[in-house]
Amino acid sequence: MRALVLILAAICVLPLIVRPAIAAEIWIFAIFGLGLNLLLGYTGLLSFGQSTFFGSAAYVAGYLLKHHAIGLPLALGVGIGIGALSALLVGYLCVQRSGLYFIMLTFALNQLFYFVAYQWTSVTGGEDGMPGIPRPAILGIGLTEPLHYYLLVSALFLLALGLMKRIVESPLGKILQAIRENEVRADAVGYNVPRFKLAAFVIGGAFSGAAGVLYAMLFGIVPLEAIGFVFSGNVVFATLIGGSGSLYGPIIGSFVFIWLSESMSVVWARWPLLLGVAFVIVVLFFRGGVVEAWSRLWRFSKRTA
Amino acid sequence: MALLETHGLTKSFGALTAVNAVTLRVEAGAVHSVIGPNGAGKTTLFNLLTGAFPPSSGQLFFDGKDITGTPSHRVAHLGLARSFQRTNVFPALSLLDNVWIAAFARNVSRRGLTWRRAQHYPETTERARSALADVGLAEKANHLAREISHGEQRQLELAIALAAAPRVLLLDEPAAGLSPDETRKMVALVRALRGRYTVVLIEHKMDIIMNVSDRISVMHFGSLIAEGTPAEIQRNPDVRRAYLGGAAA
Repeated sequence: MRALVLILAAICVLPLIVRPAIAAEIWIFAIFGLGLNLLLGYTGLLSFGQSTFFGSAAYVAGYLLKHHAIGLPLALGVGIGIGALSALLVGYLCVQRSGLYFIMLTFALNQLFYFVAYQWTSVTGGEDGMPGIPRPAILGIGLTEPLHYYLLVSALFLLALGLMKRIVESPLGKILQAIRENEVRADAVGYNVPRFKLAAFVIGGAFSGAAGVLYAMLFGIVPLEAIGFVFSGNVVFATLIGGSGSLYGPIIGSFVFIWLSESMSVVWARWPLLLGVAFVIVVLFFRGGVVEAWSRLWRFSKRTA
Repeated sequence: MALLETHGLTKSFGALTAVNAVTLRVEAGAVHSVIGPNGAGKTTLFNLLTGAFPPSSGQLFFDGKDITGTPSHRVAHLGLARSFQRTNVFPALSLLDNVWIAAFARNVSRRGLTWRRAQHYPETTERARSALADVGLAEKANHLAREISHGEQRQLELAIALAAAPRVLLLDEPAAGLSPDETRKMVALVRALRGRYTVVLIEHKMDIIMNVSDRISVMHFGSLIAEGTPAEIQRNPDVRRAYLGGAAA
């Protein structure tokens, strides 16, 4: 309940502090992070290929928006569907392996999708990206006004968060955590472990897909980077900084990551250095990310008070 | 009638035959122990019985049905639950969640799997709580599994197996690494299971075996060398040689 109030407050205050486009990007990236964290935090699977689903959804929905003028709900539906479908494909191959091999497979398949997008210039625009993606109106309300679009993104983010909360509190959420904790025992008590991992992939892919479509409409373009490995790495990075052990970790991570990159990149070209320092601090002292740092600080202040 | 039965079950790893043509009948309702020196193939036999890996040859029957080669997560649904020799729990989850996971696995219907809140399965939660109560851990339901003592983790190990409401319970050295005091507790627990479950028990500690078993099978170098009641096994010269004389032939 307290978390919800905080998030609602953040949604109201954010566009006053940063440009609405950046504010929208934060919530879009948070949806992306929520999807990853079902794999990373809950199932214990480090996927280094999340942009596969993000980018595929952005390209397909972007293409349909641009050339076939589909409506917004359909564009979102297509994005979610493509995200889930590509995750089913990639996940099916990856869950057969574990550990380092699993991570490398997610990465390699990501590269495969990247080079398809890179080469297929007639559709994706290759290196130049796919520009000219419109933001269709919804229920007669135009979304070209940045603040309107921000409100839509915020609403969809809240929906995504509510959905993910239900998922992690459901039996599925418990089973995924059990798999993270002890695969052998999860199998022995009767769960088909690869099938459950695949389910986590597909759900995570659907969230990534939704984020991808919203991202394409936000900037009016699908840049090639949207399907590249740096993007995959960024979401892992942001989630770890925020704290992968908590439902809210990726949201905080997204906030820190986007805010830092947008505000610092103007001032200092070497800003990723700061991210590097933040990451080192997290890995060395706060394995649970900002969420853990905060709760430790909270307990400390209570004890001294 | 035999609830669990094997015919010439064999498992080879390269040149090593870990389980060699084992034919075993476990009667319903009995506590059937498998003993033998270290490396006799007892745990491998368990892995074959639970489908952790398929046998090289031979057959496995459960309740008259041939289940040879069925993967372990499906075997669990038939009603075979196992505990592990080395503690094998879900460390970062609460004790209740540890057993809840096992209890939920046995539900025929998975309705609401991705949607309904886990607390809204009263029947599953009830089964999980009673499994914890059976091993005496009811008060610690909300502790994390990694925070409790080794002895308690062994009890939890047993509770996870019980929560699955099994028809056959396979216990792999439930008293491994326990102090004499904790061992006495564990013996009492296993004795209490007698009559409620069909139990297959692997154990090293003779006092436990002689105390709780209805029948005992003795393994040596992968083969069964004797079977009988505790009293018969104690008198059996082959068994004595296997344990005391090293290479028996």
